[in-house]
Amino acid sequence: MVDTIYHSLSLTHSNLQFLYITLYFGGTIRKNMELYIFLEKMRVKRFFKKLLKEEHPPFEKAATEDDLLKKKQIDSSLADTMELFKKIYYVPNNSDVNIRYIEIGGIKKNAAVITISSISNTKLIEELVIRPLLINEDESKEIELLLSPQVRKADVIEDILVEINNGNTTLFVDGEPYAYIISSGNFQGRSVEKAENEVVVKGPKESFNEQAMTNISLIRKRIRDEKLIVESTTISKRAKNELYLVYIKDIANEELITNIKNKLNSLDIDSIQNLSVLEEYLEDHIYSLFPTILYTERPDRASEFIEDGFIVLLMDNSPDSLILPATFWSFFHNSEDHYLRFLFGNFIRILRLMALFITLFISAIYIAITNYHVEMIPADLLLAISSTREIVPFPSLVEILMLEIAFELIREGGLRVPKPIGPTIGIVGALILGQAAVQANLVSPLVVIIVALGGLSSFAIGDTNLNYTVRLLRFPFLISAGVFGLFGLTALFTICLLYVTSIKSFGVPYLAPMTPNDSTAKDTIFRRLVKNELFRPGYLKPKDIEKKAGE
Amino acid sequence: MDNTKGKIGIREFLAIILITIGTKVTDNTPTSLFDKVGSAAWITVILMGLFSFIPIYLLTKLIIAYEDQNLIDIIFRLLGKYIGFFVIFLLWTTETYSIVINSATYADIIETMYFVKTPLFFTYIVLIGVAAYGAKKGLEFIGSAAWVSLIGLNIALFVVLILSILQGRFNYVYPILGNGIPEIMKESAMNASILGEFLYLGFIVTSLRSTNVYKKGIWIGFIYVTTVYMLALISYIMLFDYVSIVNLNYPFHETIRFIQLGFLTNVESLFLPFWLVASFLRFSFYLYISALLFGALFKIKQFNYLVPSIAILIVFLGLIPEAPVFTLINLRENFAYLTTPIFLFLPLILWITAKLKGELKK
Repeated sequence: MVDTIYHSLSLTHSNLQFLYITLYFGGTIRKNMELYIFLEKMRVKRFFKKLLKEEHPPFEKAATEDDLLKKKQIDSSLADTMELFKKIYYVPNNSDVNIRYIEIGGIKKNAAVITISSISNTKLIEELVIRPLLINEDESKEIELLLSPQVRKADVIEDILVEINNGNTTLFVDGEPYAYIISSGNFQGRSVEKAENEVVVKGPKESFNEQAMTNISLIRKRIRDEKLIVESTTISKRAKNELYLVYIKDIANEELITNIKNKLNSLDIDSIQNLSVLEEYLEDHIYSLFPTILYTERPDRASEFIEDGFIVLLMDNSPDSLILPATFWSFFHNSEDHYLRFLFGNFIRILRLMALFITLFISAIYIAITNYHVEMIPADLLLAISSTREIVPFPSLVEILMLEIAFELIREGGLRVPKPIGPTIGIVGALILGQAAVQANLVSPLVVIIVALGGLSSFAIGDTNLNYTVRLLRFPFLISAGVFGLFGLTALFTICLLYVTSIKSFGVPYLAPMTPNDSTAKDTIFRRLVKNELFRPGYLKPKDIEKKAGE
Repeated sequence: MDNTKGKIGIREFLAIILITIGTKVTDNTPTSLFDKVGSAAWITVILMGLFSFIPIYLLTKLIIAYEDQNLIDIIFRLLGKYIGFFVIFLLWTTETYSIVINSATYADIIETMYFVKTPLFFTYIVLIGVAAYGAKKGLEFIGSAAWVSLIGLNIALFVVLILSILQGRFNYVYPILGNGIPEIMKESAMNASILGEFLYLGFIVTSLRSTNVYKKGIWIGFIYVTTVYMLALISYIMLFDYVSIVNLNYPFHETIRFIQLGFLTNVESLFLPFWLVASFLRFSFYLYISALLFGALFKIKQFNYLVPSIAILIVFLGLIPEAPVFTLINLRENFAYLTTPIFLFLPLILWITAKLKGELKK
């Protein structure tokens, strides 16, 4: 409701004032509290925006004349059409757009073929399109029959442009008010390679690459089901980026699919280059520290989710897939959990949980204990700590913060460093920096151990998003522990807990199926035996809840 | 797509019961019992359970009879607009007053036992601030957070219980009857409101998935809480004996100071976080109920907006008692005596009215 009012009023100031007055004297304040607060916020925001507004010359908008032209249908005159396309493609200057004029043999008609050579298969065009037309001698044959590949027809300029931009070949024939389209797209990309970010020891190693068709093929290879639907929609206005929704028709929840489609249709953007960018448009909690869409580069993982009733998004130029909705557990889990034997899989789950807690809390607990709860440490250890801390001139909070930030810097630096120099960073960062900092009495050895342990543990959390969440959350915990000891730490932890339970990803509670519980999927901290995983997650409301076929 | 619709299931409900009522064993509630009946305090708990059984049973009956209605609706329906308003107002006052006393006690525990140098004001603000955040979020999330943390909290509690029983002396349980049977009977009747918070659970029935959840949750919770309470009192008495326990204001915290865990001689900070999580959630729930009742009294639909104001009110009221160690325990004792009749007789009155109106037969 708020949104509609906000838009319909287009927020002119007098209108706002009017609305306030009606709200005030209408006596409906309580009912409209939400709206009122919203408007009040907007007013404050506008005030500050105005205060700091920069003057700038009016921005230019792209020519609308061009847009109108594109809606038209093409002419039957070949010369006119070619003139038009030359103008649109800016031809002599646009070097890889090829226009080739031919005369079709037999029928004796002039024709032209437009292709963009860098993204189409030129050999195929030559052999299967141009050559049959040239060598034809039969006068009565129709053009469609002359060409061996399948041919589509299009007559609106806009549609034809889309086809050409996709690398397809368009054939214009004089006297015919439509174009023939032959698929010949051939975009360059890499082949299917090993997964680099989500490494497993046991199990498939393939990963998605930048071509959506390859990715779909990788999924179809795993799910040979006629109900596996790959729906495509164009999500951006100018770059015309295609998005593929992959789901199983008789499993995935209809409401969820419509919900996502509505969200995609409401996008009004020139270009969305890849899924990583799209992620931000789709998420409900953009400012939240916790991710709500899973991002994976493993086709096996994506297929597993599809089979459970989740929806997977694929796109060209993205060597990965988005899986939604996502719960905390989908970030916490790893495909290897199920590939390893039951006990081993659960062992790495425990390790991961430990790593999560160690990363989050170890430095904070160190601060809390050494500053507020000294009595907790056994006397010998206490003496050892204090003797090493004696020569360090900083409070322990500063000490830890310094080292934590240094560690993050080494990490970020190590990530961006060109490969040949990589090992140097490791040596300089880990060995020299740590060793020298201790020797220079800047930090105590125990702190190095604590920070290193926390840092190493953070690597055990495989998911990129969750990894960042945990790494960032460490700092508030550190500070709360520095301010209020274990009390502050626990207070913040409780707030986090309450917050996490209240997050929803496309209507699915973040900690489901742990809480709220629906007794279907039980895969949370520990995995069950595969034969006992009888149900699909109930929080998705799948159309078919049982995993067993038939019976 | 949201298929929970803000309703909570049996697990969350049970977790709320265990955390809100179970945490009582860790504050100064047991102290007054030890004070009056000596080593027989744990017997009082059993008797209290028996005394409370009837009102809880009647309440459950009522709530099952009026499906889709919570206790507030039932009270208004059975007692009419004016008496109903009065009763709810009374319940709201006692509830809010109990938050004030309890939160002041908890802030005092944190201050005297752990953060001696920190001003009470700041501990109190943080305590109520976190609770208010939870209460503002809503019951669903308090329940979920309670369930997530329940396992950890229970493990911690049982470690404490087992350690203190192992390190205590069994002889200290004697004399079993403490200060005598009449004293036990009197105290258990008068302190029955220690389990009186089961009454408040009736207010959230409409947020549960079904009345069946309520029935199951209440009974499991009731048995569990009483058992844990009893075990805790036994473990305190085994550790400290009845003479010295009277002088301890916060037996649980003295216990975790006293016990040892292997090479760790001071483990109180190890158990502190668990206790704190439970306390935060406990006050979240109480604040939520307080706001709910206030909202019901004055017809405020979005009652979660009331939480911050109530929270601030509570902080300022809770800061009033000087020398909280002595004041609060007296206040609490009197409060327990005062609210016991409400807890024992309100369900009975409601049930009789319902019976007279002939609405229970459906």
